[in-house]
Amino acid sequence: MAYLELQNVSKLFGAVAAVKDFNLAVEKGAFVSLLGPSGCGKTTTLRMIAGFEMPDAGAITLDGADITSVPPNKRGTGMVFQAYALFPNMNVRDNVAFGLEVTGHARKEIDDRVREMLALVRLEDTAKRFPHQLSGGQQQRIALARALAIRPRVLLLDEPLSALDAVVRVALRGEIRRIQLELGITTVYVTHDQEEALSISDRVVVMDQGLIEQAGSPEEIYRQPQTRFVAAFIGTANQLNGVVVDRAQVRFGETILRAPVPTSLNESSKVVVLVRPESIAIHAAAPSAVQNILEGTIQTITFLGPITRVAVDVNGTRVVADMAASSRAAFTHTQHVWLSFSADACQVMANQ
Amino acid sequence: MKERPPVLQSLLVALFITYMIVPIIATYIFSIATQWDITLMPEGYTLEWYQTAFDHPYFSITLTNSFIVSIAAVLVGLLFIVPTTYWVHTRVPAAKPLLDLLMILPFGIPAVVLALALIRVYSFPPLARSPFLLISACVIFSMPFMYRPVSNSLMAVDVHTLTESALSLGANTLQILIRVIAPNIMPGILSGSLLVFATVFAEFTLANLITGASFKTFPLLLVEFTRRDGRIAAALSVISFTVAWLASLALLWVGGRGRKPTEEALGAR
Repeated sequence: MAYLELQNVSKLFGAVAAVKDFNLAVEKGAFVSLLGPSGCGKTTTLRMIAGFEMPDAGAITLDGADITSVPPNKRGTGMVFQAYALFPNMNVRDNVAFGLEVTGHARKEIDDRVREMLALVRLEDTAKRFPHQLSGGQQQRIALARALAIRPRVLLLDEPLSALDAVVRVALRGEIRRIQLELGITTVYVTHDQEEALSISDRVVVMDQGLIEQAGSPEEIYRQPQTRFVAAFIGTANQLNGVVVDRAQVRFGETILRAPVPTSLNESSKVVVLVRPESIAIHAAAPSAVQNILEGTIQTITFLGPITRVAVDVNGTRVVADMAASSRAAFTHTQHVWLSFSADACQVMANQ
Repeated sequence: MKERPPVLQSLLVALFITYMIVPIIATYIFSIATQWDITLMPEGYTLEWYQTAFDHPYFSITLTNSFIVSIAAVLVGLLFIVPTTYWVHTRVPAAKPLLDLLMILPFGIPAVVLALALIRVYSFPPLARSPFLLISACVIFSMPFMYRPVSNSLMAVDVHTLTESALSLGANTLQILIRVIAPNIMPGILSGSLLVFATVFAEFTLANLITGASFKTFPLLLVEFTRRDGRIAAALSVISFTVAWLASLALLWVGGRGRKPTEEALGAR
């Protein structure tokens, strides 16, 4: 049995099932992200773990004990919210000490723990300040310190970085991961930002409409998406609709693409071939290598900093290829180009 | 860039302020005048009316009684209304319209009706015609004044997130109410307390009907004097204003000490 387990958990709001038959096992010390678009049920799931929502079906166990009906203030879960939830009437020291004060800890123990937590989030000299005197990023770090001060068994974070600006977000997510690893605390993190999820998690659970689409390591999720939703949601993926020819070939329009076809798909099944833009090379003249080659005309060229994204119209299908900034090749709008990619850059799945 | 307000507007505001202030100033002057019936300004000044008022056997008793009733009404009101409003806001939001309606009802009930109804229902000892009944009547009567500011304050603050943060840290509901919620809705609590105090202190009808002479409050003494000697009544009125004014100052001072951080925080949002 895993440290934190959700078994067949469901939650309905009226007639709408926010979470359907959810199963999740989180190992002790692991960092798991629940990732998905708005309304996919990730926050509802987190709130059920915290105890703010009651599941309509299923059970939640923590360290072997069933906590499904335990009230939120007795679960030993620490939570960091998206909106700054620091108590405006208390200074930083009192905020961080709150959880210990309401549970009757000794004064000395509280003072030591507060100092320890502020050092952990590197905000030692803010103890006397009030929340409104701190920046957004600082407030979230204090919120983290406050949640960790009670030494929770599980740390829950509900889109803690959404309200912060981009630079702070990147820095702070690294901080959160650093602290999580240092303390070895089991963590469940909710986000709609896939870069966030992929960069700091041990495991990512992709959700959509209350169901788990796929759960796995960040690399697995990215390189081997198991459903079209995951493929489309994580990174950018070109989706080429075709028909299976044999175990190693798929017909895409007039072209035969070489791609590994899973044994579950028969000849003539309708499939979609997924290729990531970074695996596609663009050529001004027809390449000679023995790879998949497509040709078309450039629709758009978008400069994104580290890469330039080129969208090519291949017989009506929009195919996107990424060029590294270091590449000196120059292309123009409506230029006729060739795209090449290897067979193992392709992933074939059923056209659902 | 502020535009100078038009002359007409300033004139209207000045007229309105004058209209409101003149009766109060007149009362004050009357209370220190020897004689002021036919002249534009008083013929002479004296403090004898205040002296007579203080010397009256019932002066300190009625003042004390009024304080007791007003303070009790504030405390009971706080005790009942703050937790209830908080509970409805966080746990049973569907009941909020009902609570709003309930808290408006006292405005629709004339004091006479309320007093007579309560006397009828609670006609048994020890409640019959007792100060407890009077205090209860005052609490009911002043409910809207406590509820509205408290409810508005709760809406202005993100009660849900604050409550959930506190819960996740291990606090129980009472701790949350006292340590987190109350300090953050202090403006509402103070306004409510002030309004209740002022309303109940000046309340005549309920006191007259429910307890009457057995537990005289200050307004009863004041009304008695309006029939006997207007100058002493004026002195008592001035004392009444002063009490309300001092109570306001006291409440604001007490609440003001812990208020600044919350105020700034709410402003910064």
